[in-house]
Amino acid sequence: MNRWYHSWVAAVRIARRDAWRFKGRSSLVLAMIALPILGVSAADVTLRSADLSAEQKMERGLGAADARMSDPGMGGVPILQAPDGFNKAPVKDYGEGIWPEGPGDIRAAFPAGAKTLKDSNGSGKLRTGHGLLNAVIHELDATDPMTRGMMTLEEGRFPAKAGEVAATTHFLQAGGLKVGSTVAARGLDTEYRIVGSYELPDALKADEVLAPPGTFLAPLDKALKADDLPGAETSSTYLVSVGGDGFTWNMVKKANSQGISVISRAVALNPPANSDVPLYQQDGWSNYQQSAASEAAALAVVATVVGLAMLEICLLAGPAFAVGARRSARQLGLVGANGGDRRHIRAIVLSGGLVIGVAAAVVGTVLGLLLTFALRPLLEDYMGKRFGSFDVRPLELIGIGLLAVLTGLLAAIVPAITSSRQSVLASLTGRRGVRRSSRVLPVIGLIAAGLGITITLYGATATDNVAVVAGGSALAELGIVALTPALVGLFGKLGRWLPLSPRLALRDAVRNRGRTAPAVAAVLAAVAGTVAVATYTASDDVQQRAAYEARLPHGVVTVLNAEGGGRDVPAIRAAVQKHFPVDVRADVDRIVVGNAGCTPYSDAKGCGRYEIFTPKDNRCALWAEGTPGSKELTPAERRKLSKDWRCEENGQYAEYDVLVADEKLLSVLAVDDPAAFSALKSGKAVSFDRRNVEKGQVGIKLITDTDKADLMVQKGKDAPGEIKLFPVHQAPQSATAYGLKVILPAPAAKAAGLNTAPVGAYFSTDELPNSTQQQKLEAALDALGTDGGLYVEEGYTSDNSIELLALAIFAGLVTIGAAGIATGLAQTDAEPDLKTLAAVGAPPRVRRTLSGFQCGVVAAMGVALGSAAGVLPAIGLRLTEERQQLKWYEEALDAGMGGVNDAPYVPIVVPWETLAALLVAVPVGAALLAALVTRSRTAVARRAAG
Amino acid sequence: MPEAMPGPMSQKSQQPQEPHESQQPVLRLEQLTRVHGSGATEVHALRGVDLSVFPGELVAVMGPSGSGKSTLLTIAGGLDSPTSGRVVVEGTDITTVGRKELAALRRRSIGYVFQDYNLIPALTAAENVALPRELDGVSARKARVSAVAALEEMGLGQLADRFPDEMSGGQQQRVAIARALVGDRRLVLADEPTGALDSETGESVLALLRARCDAGAAGILVTHEPRFAAWADRVVFLRDGSVVDETLRSQADSLLSGQAAAQ
Repeated sequence: MNRWYHSWVAAVRIARRDAWRFKGRSSLVLAMIALPILGVSAADVTLRSADLSAEQKMERGLGAADARMSDPGMGGVPILQAPDGFNKAPVKDYGEGIWPEGPGDIRAAFPAGAKTLKDSNGSGKLRTGHGLLNAVIHELDATDPMTRGMMTLEEGRFPAKAGEVAATTHFLQAGGLKVGSTVAARGLDTEYRIVGSYELPDALKADEVLAPPGTFLAPLDKALKADDLPGAETSSTYLVSVGGDGFTWNMVKKANSQGISVISRAVALNPPANSDVPLYQQDGWSNYQQSAASEAAALAVVATVVGLAMLEICLLAGPAFAVGARRSARQLGLVGANGGDRRHIRAIVLSGGLVIGVAAAVVGTVLGLLLTFALRPLLEDYMGKRFGSFDVRPLELIGIGLLAVLTGLLAAIVPAITSSRQSVLASLTGRRGVRRSSRVLPVIGLIAAGLGITITLYGATATDNVAVVAGGSALAELGIVALTPALVGLFGKLGRWLPLSPRLALRDAVRNRGRTAPAVAAVLAAVAGTVAVATYTASDDVQQRAAYEARLPHGVVTVLNAEGGGRDVPAIRAAVQKHFPVDVRADVDRIVVGNAGCTPYSDAKGCGRYEIFTPKDNRCALWAEGTPGSKELTPAERRKLSKDWRCEENGQYAEYDVLVADEKLLSVLAVDDPAAFSALKSGKAVSFDRRNVEKGQVGIKLITDTDKADLMVQKGKDAPGEIKLFPVHQAPQSATAYGLKVILPAPAAKAAGLNTAPVGAYFSTDELPNSTQQQKLEAALDALGTDGGLYVEEGYTSDNSIELLALAIFAGLVTIGAAGIATGLAQTDAEPDLKTLAAVGAPPRVRRTLSGFQCGVVAAMGVALGSAAGVLPAIGLRLTEERQQLKWYEEALDAGMGGVNDAPYVPIVVPWETLAALLVAVPVGAALLAALVTRSRTAVARRAAG
Repeated sequence: MPEAMPGPMSQKSQQPQEPHESQQPVLRLEQLTRVHGSGATEVHALRGVDLSVFPGELVAVMGPSGSGKSTLLTIAGGLDSPTSGRVVVEGTDITTVGRKELAALRRRSIGYVFQDYNLIPALTAAENVALPRELDGVSARKARVSAVAALEEMGLGQLADRFPDEMSGGQQQRVAIARALVGDRRLVLADEPTGALDSETGESVLALLRARCDAGAAGILVTHEPRFAAWADRVVFLRDGSVVDETLRSQADSLLSGQAAAQ
């Protein structure tokens, strides 16, 4: 029976054997297609494996228990929760009133007959071999079967009695400890022996110690509080085992009514319908689900990236197939003489793409799988969690593999059509003619390019929509790719001014557009992308540099740490002084309201806060808007007000706006105002914000009842609190303190009865601390167990340079690769010419120079076209951004937002260095490389059919 | 060489019959004209050539370089089209059919043997012979069976699984002849098939061609070696695109000796 696919069998056989016969070329193309496939399939397996099933998530969170019950801290009022147990809200809407707070009673909500296990977490600083290490202190009876699956024992055993702990392997590594060592918490004299090590499958990098219930957190908390320090901040939940059908949704709702939230295995595995979730019936929860539009947008981005990558690979691999078809022209002619029609010739060349595509799919996915399998422990460490399983999704991998096959086929399409159009006679006799390039393609290209540029211009000038510009640019670039053969023709006109070798190379490239154009297009696409990104980043970089606001004078170092009532501060100050090239050190203290251990903005009981009191007449009317009693303002009034001195905003922010310090701080901050120095010396405060000063005095308001204060502020009233007044010197407008508003001298603070605590220091340096010094200091601070709080003002540093360099190198490699392929093709074609040249007495080096120039010509054309094609979209994007920011700026002014004094600055900067490197260095490099690898001697009579 | 090599004379003495008027020719060329280029560069490759080849007949075409021998062959096989005139293969005028039918005709009716490198390097001998039928949509297994049968019939069975670069030049040419006549093909067009071979090997290739014609195929052999033309039933002499002389086998010897003396 005659079937169409039987002729394909023969075609595939020929293609398969040819691919094997020309291993070098085949492996090059195979690598080009297989590498991205390897990456994508490895990423697929990794993501799928790391994505846990509901069952696995529950096992890691709940162990063998049915549920975890926790107290959301809403004072035990009835609540509503989402099935996952994370989102919850009180049943009642408290609006602008005080929302319930405080502990509830978990025990009262336990289902009757349930088995429960307390699970507590706190934190503390533990002494290790390297100093102090912040760690989670976990109290749980790990020998209870309910905990099975939550932790994996690595070595030793879990702790069974008081005085024993187990630790995560990461903690042991970070602390330089091992099983058998002892560990102690700072502030508690008890030593704990480490009897085992374990890991948390979901948090491999967690620093945690595990102790039996009641043996660590309670004593530590007691000891810390005795020293008037913040306690161990313990929170407890309960693992619950109920048997039967597990912890059902109805049981969850019952617990909710008692103010307790629940994470339940049964509910997670069989979630209730949204209509059964009362929380989702409340206002504001209906649009909780992710919108379909954002998913579609993400999909479009992925599709575009995949599409462009495939286009690039096709453009690169296409010429390789063209070389193959050209070299086996006689073979294809023989097939024609034996009755193969165009269809069969196309099938043979396409089969070349199919064979390589399939091979690349298999090699890519198999290597991807093997690599992921082999590197699994490393990947898990990198992601910080164990895979749920080695999750291989055959359908997804087949889909990824099909992309490779598709890429191979697409790359072979143009060579296939070109070869099939060649007459049998010409193929057999090896006659070379100048093949006419398509007449339709340039027209399509011109239309696409014109349309794309129009859309881009429209997008850049008439809209502020970046997507329009991006879409238009992509269309224009495709159009220019299609126009490449015609543009290459235009380059031919330059030939007459060139010396012999480059002229020969250029003429040859132009006369054989069929092979030159795809290579030029490949270079074009890669360079256009690079230039677009480079131009955009360079412009953005200039903008960022202009927009950068130093937080401190250049080279100034601050260290601010409010932990533990400032007891580590002296050691921290000394460490900075020891490791950094410090010139002046200005110690600073902060105001403490409430207990000595209170950190700023703490909600803890007995802690309050302070604020600088701004006299009523100095307040900005804009900011008072919306509060009861204020009148609506017109946009014109808002614009006028935004220029008012009371509404000024310099955008600078300091962690502490009031610091207790002496005049050394002024010199570190480079404040050039002798009056301020003498003011501080004489015990007067210094203010840097004239709004806060009235009648030569500045007021600090001490707020002790923060709940009441919050309520008053919500109602637009002043927070209640005692105002302490200080005589003050107002620094001139020219002096800036980088967000710091008031400096109080210590004697004045003391005289006013303010409580203060050391918080850190400001340092001026002789030179910027170098990397070694910074590392040494970090190690010293780590050993103190502090969370840093170190800031070094290094001025604007651009982190784009590495990216730009990487992009330029990528574009260079693609260019050299594409130009090399085109040169190989040209040499195959030009073999008879070279023999003729040799016969008429040309020296052997002509061969080298010619191939060098052929390669250089392709690279130069691609880079020149690509640079032009890349600068345009970047400019379009910047223009759009400028329009967008101007619009926001106008809107902000109309809305009466203060502090928008400057119109947006969106510069367009062409990265000339990168462009120059691409335009000159890359073609020259490509040419030299091609000349270097070309043999000077002609090959001995080659078999034409080879 | 599997079979004893018979000389041209003994071969012909076994096949004494002349082509009959009653028989349909496999190939008929009528007033064939081919002009390359136009205006100043106009070249008349063929000027009104008439030629018929009957089943069982091997016709040699001779003539100096540029006389139009190869053009005649390419037009006869449908690889090139004439400026005017008719080419009838097995009753079909191939100048009137489309590209696809022409390719189909080459698969089913016309076989080519070129001077050298006739075989596709990526295919074994059997696969090369099977190629026209496979392209025609016959399943690979069926095509292979008939290809191996054809090779065995010609005494080339042992070459079936060899690739071209594992065969000698003579072996390759004989496999090419097997391919030219596989299936229902009855017309073999051979363009200097012995050109790249030494004379002894050349003789063996022609012996095979002669044997296939004796078995019923029709063949045209382009050559400029009188020695090889002696294997033919008829010799046609071309000069500047026209047939200047045509002789039957019975007269060929004397003519050939004259031709040989002239060269």
